[in-house]
Amino acid sequence: MEITTEQRGTVTVLSIVGSVDGMTASAMVVSFRAQVSSGNVHLVGDFTGVDYTSSAGLRALLETVKETRQRGGDLRLAAVQPDVLRVLELSGFTHILKLFPDLESAVASFPA
Amino acid sequence: MRLQIERDAHAENLQEIRDFIETACRRAGVERSAAFDLKLAVDEACSNILEHGYAGQKPGPIRISFDAASERVVVTIADQGRAFDPKNVAAPDLDSDWEHRQIGGLGWHLIRRSVDSVSYESGTELGNRLTLMKMTPLAKASSGAE
Repeated sequence: MEITTEQRGTVTVLSIVGSVDGMTASAMVVSFRAQVSSGNVHLVGDFTGVDYTSSAGLRALLETVKETRQRGGDLRLAAVQPDVLRVLELSGFTHILKLFPDLESAVASFPA
Repeated sequence: MRLQIERDAHAENLQEIRDFIETACRRAGVERSAAFDLKLAVDEACSNILEHGYAGQKPGPIRISFDAASERVVVTIADQGRAFDPKNVAAPDLDSDWEHRQIGGLGWHLIRRSVDSVSYESGTELGNRLTLMKMTPLAKASSGAE
């Protein structure tokens, strides 16, 4: 799994490529936590390149949603692919996560 | 057809185990969404074995066998770690808002939702044995000579 980070105004975009599982989810958690502890709480996860997630990825997402929202921010996901969306739906995560069809709309959803 | 794989219970083997299920499904003619469900269920089961079954001890083997016949796929996952009956796992909370949602506890839920039946035995000659069964059409062209 590869994670690249890009700042767009007040929004930090983390682009994740690969599969999120019990091996790789910790790298995602580390990247999200590093942003939150630097004070960046307007986060977008660009999931265009994520082809798989297990419940390990769901733990990482929920932890980050809680951390960011408690600080007045959010973690929002862009371009979630159908297989990953199915895991989010099965787990009831589509009710708590804000999902956007593409990166531009996810970034634009935060105040400038 | 029947295929088997055995790997030690290390997280770095999860990708290879998922690849095994994907390849087995393709050879058996399992359609794509059912193959994804099987891959997810097997990954979650193996993740539980390495996080809980072998917790506090040297990671031992996970032996997986894949059988496909008569519109039915049966995957058995055997390990020699601590016994862990999924019947005792509480149903997760899927409805609370984000503030009250518990982190974790979704693995067995995803397994139950992804396959049609789940059964578990401990103390077999192979150790613990989890059997996952999914009903799914198998493409005739891929049935092969096995």
